[in-house]
Amino acid sequence: MSDARDDTSAAIAIQGARKAYRPIVGAPLRDAVCDVTIRVAPGTIHGLLGPNGAGKTTTLKMLLGLVKPTAGTFMIMGADSTRPAGRRDVGFMPEQPYFPQHLTAAHALRLYARLSGVPKDEIASRTSALLERVGLAGRDRVTLDTFSRGMLQRLGIAQALINEPQVVILDEPASGLDPVGQRDVRNLMLALRDAGVTVLLSSHQLSEVETVCDDVTIMNAGRVAAEGVLDSLLNIEGRTSLRALVPGDALPPDVASRAENIAVSGGLWVFSVPDESVRFVVDAIDDAGGRVVSVMPMRDSLEDYFARLLAMTAGEVGSR
Amino acid sequence: MMGRILPIASAVVADSLRRKVVYVVLVFAALLAFAIPSLPDYGLGVQSAVFREVALALAYVTALVVTLSLAANRVPAEVERRTVYNVVAKGVSRPEYLVGTWLGVFMVAGGAMVAFTIIEQAVGYITYGEIMWQLWQGAFAVWLEMGVVAALAVAVSAITGPVVVVTASLAALFIGHSRSTLLGGEGALELSPFYPSLDAFNVVNPVAHGSGVPLVYLVSMAAVFVGMAGLSLIVGSILFSRRDL
Repeated sequence: MSDARDDTSAAIAIQGARKAYRPIVGAPLRDAVCDVTIRVAPGTIHGLLGPNGAGKTTTLKMLLGLVKPTAGTFMIMGADSTRPAGRRDVGFMPEQPYFPQHLTAAHALRLYARLSGVPKDEIASRTSALLERVGLAGRDRVTLDTFSRGMLQRLGIAQALINEPQVVILDEPASGLDPVGQRDVRNLMLALRDAGVTVLLSSHQLSEVETVCDDVTIMNAGRVAAEGVLDSLLNIEGRTSLRALVPGDALPPDVASRAENIAVSGGLWVFSVPDESVRFVVDAIDDAGGRVVSVMPMRDSLEDYFARLLAMTAGEVGSR
Repeated sequence: MMGRILPIASAVVADSLRRKVVYVVLVFAALLAFAIPSLPDYGLGVQSAVFREVALALAYVTALVVTLSLAANRVPAEVERRTVYNVVAKGVSRPEYLVGTWLGVFMVAGGAMVAFTIIEQAVGYITYGEIMWQLWQGAFAVWLEMGVVAALAVAVSAITGPVVVVTASLAALFIGHSRSTLLGGEGALELSPFYPSLDAFNVVNPVAHGSGVPLVYLVSMAAVFVGMAGLSLIVGSILFSRRDL
């Protein structure tokens, strides 16, 4: 979790967010989001994860004043973001960026620049610089109805950055992009962080989150299921992962008795052992004429952690 | 505030300029304006008055079609296509968005009125050798009434779809022009000051058959416009502000 524990120092602070609605008139209220608290430290990339229907987009919409919260407080850079004035230093790219189709790319960016209060004499230079930055240089006079999904996605990122915001909220920014585009988006997020910009990233792409995020909040069934720094969430306490080249077709018996999660390919063995056995196992492999390639804390893949967590919290939700 | 309202209004204008409906309605209305002098029941000595009366009616229908076609669909379409997300997330308040949308529609309706009145003037001059300056007063009244209709349509469209918006707007027009019919009795006439009448914008008689509309009346008409359009936009803004997008 971020080091910002109070709302004033956090770049984004969501406290006790709740959104309840009635599926039909007269029906009891149903929570889409319940008691969600998220704090994002300035200058970090924070991932917001969860399966479809977890409440991620509803939470972001409440943060941006698009949906009226039933309860909770929403602050961006210390200002109430449910009020328009609190969103003027924010860039937002929705999950599927829609634009007026008759506009050209340059027209669209100019419109959003004017709405964001960008000084008139800076609009043209910022527009061309941003189009180049997102890989749309030379497309400024093309109308948006001819843009592909990926190009609209890139333009969506450009409009989110047009006002040089201190906080950027990206909802599935790599969706619809080819692998090169996805890499560009990752690099862009890292560059924003390097420039001191805070990024809140909602994504299904766990590899993307794992690559760029400093910390994450995982939501399920409208609630926060887990939160924290990625390393501390994924490291499996008490176990160490080893990679070793071992002669023959089996691990030494003393090692095999302690090893778990064993996989082998081309003489390279990958397995985990209890932390207290690491010294013994390394010596045993040495004695057997093998070579230890790496020793590191055992770490779950985000995919496995995510799946396990969702299965666990689904049980909790079912029992509530 | 205007720094955010004007870009929205200009986006509405730009969008409407690419729509064929505005041009089609204008061309069709112009063709009808050229056909007015060939009406069979023209009486000697009143031709130009009848021309002005029919021209005003045509202007009214033209403006109504343009206004409703733009105002009824704009907000629902932007909400449905989610283009409104980018706008609201930029710190534009919902009232600013609604007022900007209304202003754009109002400006397009004004442009259509100017274009159509120029055509009417040309036809009137060619046919009767007369510059019918009163038609500008009529166009002004129609434009203001369309401003009220646009405000009502935008307000209703903040919470519902185009079909309901058009129905509600036409119902409001009917009610607005039926005060004397609906409040016929003496007791009911006491309600007259509270009736949402649009009769203030009806200047057919002075424009077509009289010597024009006095300036003081034009000013009072503008005041009615501000009141009615403003009230509609306030109510629309409240409704839109309470809505989830």
